[in-house]
Amino acid sequence: MRNYLRFLWRCAGVAFVGDWRYYAWVGTLTALVIVGLNAYAKQFVAGLEITGMSDQVSWGVYIANFTFLVGMAAAAVMLVIPVYIYKNEDLHDLVIFGELLAVAAILMCLAFVTVDLGRPDRFWHLIPGIGVFHFPGSMLSWDVLVLNGYLVLNIYICGYLLFCRYNNRKPATWFYIPFVFVAIFWAISIHTVTAFLYVGLGGRPFWNSSIVGPRFLASAFTAGPAFIILALQVIRWATATGMHDPQHPHEPPGEAPRAKVKRAANPGDLERLAVHLPELETVSADERRACLEGATLLEAAPGEVLLRQGETNKEAFFVVSGRVVVRREEKGRIRTTRNVGPGEQFGEVSAIAGTPRAATAFAAAPTEVICLPEESLRRLMRSPKLEEIITWRMGERLMMSDRSLLILRSIVQVSMIINVFLLANEIFSEFYNSNSHDVSWRYLILGLNGRHALVPWFWTAMALNITAMVILMLPLSRRFKWLNAACIMCIFGIWIEKGMGLVVPGFIPSPLGEMVEYQPTMNETFVCIGIWAFGLLCFTVFLRMAVPILQGELVRANES
Amino acid sequence: MTTQPTDTGMSRRSFLRASTVLSAGVAAVAAGLAPLRKLGEVGSVDEFLQKYYKELSPEEMKRVLARIEDEVQRQYGVRPHVRDYKPMNGVEFVYALNLTRCVGCRKCVHACVAENNQSRNPEIQYIRVLKLPNDGTFDMDKADHNYQPTSVPEPGFFYMPVQCHQCKNPPCVKVCPVKATWQEADGITVVDYNWCIGCRYCEAACPYFARRFNFTTPSIPKEDINTNMSYLGNRPRYKGVMEKCHFCTQRTRAGRYPACVEVCPTGSRKFGNILDPDSEVSYILRHKRVYVLKAELGTLPRFFYYFDV
Repeated sequence: MRNYLRFLWRCAGVAFVGDWRYYAWVGTLTALVIVGLNAYAKQFVAGLEITGMSDQVSWGVYIANFTFLVGMAAAAVMLVIPVYIYKNEDLHDLVIFGELLAVAAILMCLAFVTVDLGRPDRFWHLIPGIGVFHFPGSMLSWDVLVLNGYLVLNIYICGYLLFCRYNNRKPATWFYIPFVFVAIFWAISIHTVTAFLYVGLGGRPFWNSSIVGPRFLASAFTAGPAFIILALQVIRWATATGMHDPQHPHEPPGEAPRAKVKRAANPGDLERLAVHLPELETVSADERRACLEGATLLEAAPGEVLLRQGETNKEAFFVVSGRVVVRREEKGRIRTTRNVGPGEQFGEVSAIAGTPRAATAFAAAPTEVICLPEESLRRLMRSPKLEEIITWRMGERLMMSDRSLLILRSIVQVSMIINVFLLANEIFSEFYNSNSHDVSWRYLILGLNGRHALVPWFWTAMALNITAMVILMLPLSRRFKWLNAACIMCIFGIWIEKGMGLVVPGFIPSPLGEMVEYQPTMNETFVCIGIWAFGLLCFTVFLRMAVPILQGELVRANES
Repeated sequence: MTTQPTDTGMSRRSFLRASTVLSAGVAAVAAGLAPLRKLGEVGSVDEFLQKYYKELSPEEMKRVLARIEDEVQRQYGVRPHVRDYKPMNGVEFVYALNLTRCVGCRKCVHACVAENNQSRNPEIQYIRVLKLPNDGTFDMDKADHNYQPTSVPEPGFFYMPVQCHQCKNPPCVKVCPVKATWQEADGITVVDYNWCIGCRYCEAACPYFARRFNFTTPSIPKEDINTNMSYLGNRPRYKGVMEKCHFCTQRTRAGRYPACVEVCPTGSRKFGNILDPDSEVSYILRHKRVYVLKAELGTLPRFFYYFDV
């Protein structure tokens, strides 16, 4: 418990530390949050009168943003499925990023619902037990349950995984895998339930269509991963130049001296390693002796290099004492990928795969390291326990590789195609056989009776979505410039499609055929900007805490 | 490692810096929240903590009614009489409206506003009269909601007043997340203005455009206040809550007609107890050709349109 509080305290502390770019970004977001707060205070005093909403169009951009963000939150699951079901290790760490995004998105959802309420002071009427909860009758009560449940699930899963990583402990399967699977179904449920909010209204033909649920999922699985593709590149860029450790004095050891071999490794060294790596005890004494054949003990002073990016040699290293930093140079930028402490290994990936060294490792303190030939590493990994822990650590690395981004690209690609296809289905069934159900669609796409406030919105969304789809289908979207452009288009296109393109036209014309249009007011827009800034602020702070933990910089071992 | 880990151990300088930033932040938030100073009168603790209508004991109800009378007096300068009118046994109200006779004068609209203490600015109306062309389409999308004639009726058109249909299967009641709106034993769907959270889901669900939201604090001139008030009916509403036609519970549950029925100059509006076979509405449903608006939605309205010829 104390350990956990200490963990939380250090995480909170790290959120306040960063370089000038971090402060500038966080400062800007905070300023926007305050602008939003100010706009909301005005709305609180005046009432919803100062929004563009009316009795005819009784939901506007607040609920539009809410609907979009539920989708973003649900999309985190698209990262979870490949990792836990298909064991795709490339996306491993991205799961945590995805779930943190889900948490931030749900917080934004809750904020958007709150600002939309006429009586936020009566929110307690919604709390089961204290208030009167209309469950299961009202779809809104389902939404309250699934959204808050999803929030708790994701906070728990991320919190548990990060806490384990902090303690350098392998997460216990039973403590999180069942929750991960629940979260997968739950993610689908949050978006389906949100779609049912609309679909369930018989008096609104524009929404009362069974394809709305699938459309919601398809668009969510486009916009969510698209956002994560962009976010990962920002994280990569920010961590590359050492955003989180401004005081790190070590220059990349270009010409730094190499660590020296002290002597051949002996059983005593393995004993010392076993203190930090208890799984070693499962290897028999004979096997251990065999492992030591050809093994050496290296001694490195701070700054001395243990292996260099690009070399080809096939040894794996285990840290006996001290600390090793692993840095990777990519496109001229340098990024710390790991911080390796006693009992942990590095260099084993290239040792097993025979690939060139992907990064440079150097000592950050007086360090002793056992250097094992490939053969010995394989021998150790015959012990199932040791194999498990070594491969787990291989997986736990912060791998924001191009490969993982390209996997996300294919998710966005397929989802966008399905999304456009479903939309085409809907438009066909409404327009081919002209009937009274298509009035809202006509208003949205072509304008009706001289009113066409939503027409530009719709066509902008279409242009963005279709251009994005075409780019994503072409091989050129493997280049990041194009991929990023397509992702930005997906996010904006779908934001419009689900907001101004779905929530608002459902109200126009009114059930009695009245044409009242809707435009968000300035104040309403400021409230929205404030909530978005709040969400991005949350996401930034979450990442600020998670990245050093995943990199092994914020660990229990370096508690002071 | 020779350097300090970045997050541990706060030096005095960083503490000072942090507290400066923190106090600047608090000041900025306070400045942001400044508009709240204009909030004026905030509801009392009793109002905030008031229980759900159906959970109030008779004594609690008495206290609530007295408090509401005080509230109204403070806000409007008139002492009202607020009662909790209950449904009568053996009564189910039904409304019938003669489309052949209605001339679209909108007297019902204004009588309703006056009777039910609706906000005058912005004006909230429960009844919407549609002017529809006599072209055989009965198409809502051709309805004129804002006709301003010098005299009614206008040739070539007929008029169709729409208000809450008091459905037997009300979508608005189904969607409310806190059960702040429900159907009473006499068939009237009511709203507890002290329980509604203002999510407006019922407004989205209603196929008859029958619900109205208080986008701001309602305003009613002192001299226009109708002091005969019912808790679930025409007492003044709050900012941010939903309201709707409740068949004038303060009148109909005391044996009178709704204001709209009483005022109608053409006798197009009929109201009564469907459980009484001798009532006017029972006769109309048995003998006249009746039209139910949006019958295909299965809402089973208690509001019927009928024709003379």
